[in-house]
Amino acid sequence: MKCPRCDSELVSVMVKSPVGDAWEVYLCDTCKFSWRSTEGDNITDPEQYDKRFKLNPAEFNTFDQIPPIPKLLKK
Amino acid sequence: MVYRDLREFLEVLEAEKQLIKIKDEVMPEPDLSAIGRSAPNMDSAPAVLVEKVKGYKNSVVLNVHGSWQNHALMLNLPKDTPVKDQFFKLKELWDKYPIKPVWIDKKDAPVKEVVIDTGINLFEVLPLFRINEFDAGFYLSKALIVTRNPNHPDSYDEQNCGMYRIQVKGKDKVAIQPMPFHDIAVHLKNAEEKNERLPIAICLGNDPVLSFMASTPIAYVQSEYDFAGALKGEPVELTKAENSNLDIPARSEIVLEGYIEPRVREIEGPFGEFPGSYSGARLQPIIKITKITHRKNPIFENLYIGMPWTEVDYLVALNTSIPLYEQLKRDFPEVEAVNAMYTHGIGAIVSTKSRFGGYGKAVAMRLLSTPHGMSYTKIVIIVDEFVDPFDLKQVMWALTTRVRPDKDVFKIPCAPGMPLDPSSEPAGIHTKLVIDATTPVAPDFGRDCELLGTPVDAEKWSEILRNLVKEGGNK
Repeated sequence: MKCPRCDSELVSVMVKSPVGDAWEVYLCDTCKFSWRSTEGDNITDPEQYDKRFKLNPAEFNTFDQIPPIPKLLKK
Repeated sequence: MVYRDLREFLEVLEAEKQLIKIKDEVMPEPDLSAIGRSAPNMDSAPAVLVEKVKGYKNSVVLNVHGSWQNHALMLNLPKDTPVKDQFFKLKELWDKYPIKPVWIDKKDAPVKEVVIDTGINLFEVLPLFRINEFDAGFYLSKALIVTRNPNHPDSYDEQNCGMYRIQVKGKDKVAIQPMPFHDIAVHLKNAEEKNERLPIAICLGNDPVLSFMASTPIAYVQSEYDFAGALKGEPVELTKAENSNLDIPARSEIVLEGYIEPRVREIEGPFGEFPGSYSGARLQPIIKITKITHRKNPIFENLYIGMPWTEVDYLVALNTSIPLYEQLKRDFPEVEAVNAMYTHGIGAIVSTKSRFGGYGKAVAMRLLSTPHGMSYTKIVIIVDEFVDPFDLKQVMWALTTRVRPDKDVFKIPCAPGMPLDPSSEPAGIHTKLVIDATTPVAPDFGRDCELLGTPVDAEKWSEILRNLVKEGGNK
């Protein structure tokens, strides 16, 4: 299985439905996207996921930190 | 107050026909966000309690604050109370600050009825769902989040209760968005400078006044709990968290306890935000959940955020307006009312008398230098004291008949801005716009003109007509 958002193959089952065998939720270990097996193809299918919201893991280190990590105090 | 917690407020809403219950099972997606979008579109805009969600154990309630009717009931007012009257009632209650909370023993606190400290799985307790289509996952959008200043861990006054978005990233892991200008960011910075974990409590399903205060921009050393007491006219009940010194509402439905991992940032977002657009993805702190306490049969309360207006717009409306009003009124006693309820105060309208020429412009500049107005407010409109700033028809009258664009409109370039506003570029910088729609007074001047009056007995006839409508016509 691939992550619908960043196409990473580092995907795991985060959780199964607490009641019945209703659905599973998956988590992408690369971009932390999560989705449920019962959601539509617009969410679950990497080919159909809206290109405006696709992420490229190579760019993650250019994203802003909110809030920035402060300097350590000298002991 | 007639209610002490979320459950009791839902009973008030039901009695006032402001609560709908859905008994048939619904799907987490797309049903819950569709319900959250639809409820505030209705005339009555009721809260909606969804009793069964496919695959989950517990119920969900949406749109608890999402109408002026519900907002009035929260303040113990009749549900048809006009917005301007709600503003002045809130102002009256505000001035009762502080009413200190009472602490009740853990064993008597309803939120401790069930304690989970092993095998934490948020999905066992919370019916989580995707709020907007391109959100990064499932979010807690209506949590009251408690932290203390690690440099003054015993300081109750510095304890903060705020509402910050929380992305679920695992069965026991979530992410948080503390903006640098939020109080929690002060606590986090102090912890991270020492490379220490910051204890945190994420409280869900609260007395509506507590959620209201967690969304209110008050001063750093003011207590949201003391304000909630003032609004209720009686102390709120707190108890102690299990794993820290934090004070939490004793009657919350669910509390997640844990800590922010120091000096860690991880990808978070996008998330559909209050300006009606998605925030981008950013690197933000993460939280490890180590304990869950909850009431029996807990109700999960969450917030749908959509193109304004949805519930969030009611939740940050008058409580954004009142602090700005108080700060202006202190130095400009002529200020009559402040309506800062457009997109959390990005737009604000102030009504004021003018003591001398140019006064409206001075009031606008003061608003733009208040702690909230400085970063959030981008567009300020100043109207005369007899214009109701909550009545946009009257405000448009002032704009169309009082403004001379050559002298009454000005901009302040490159001022602080709200990063989530997509027109803020670079994010965090705004050009401010001021429109002074007050009538010129000396030494400024305008053409002589006299306003139309109101016919004698108009008020009497308004009441007669209202009563006739109530009775279903003059049969």
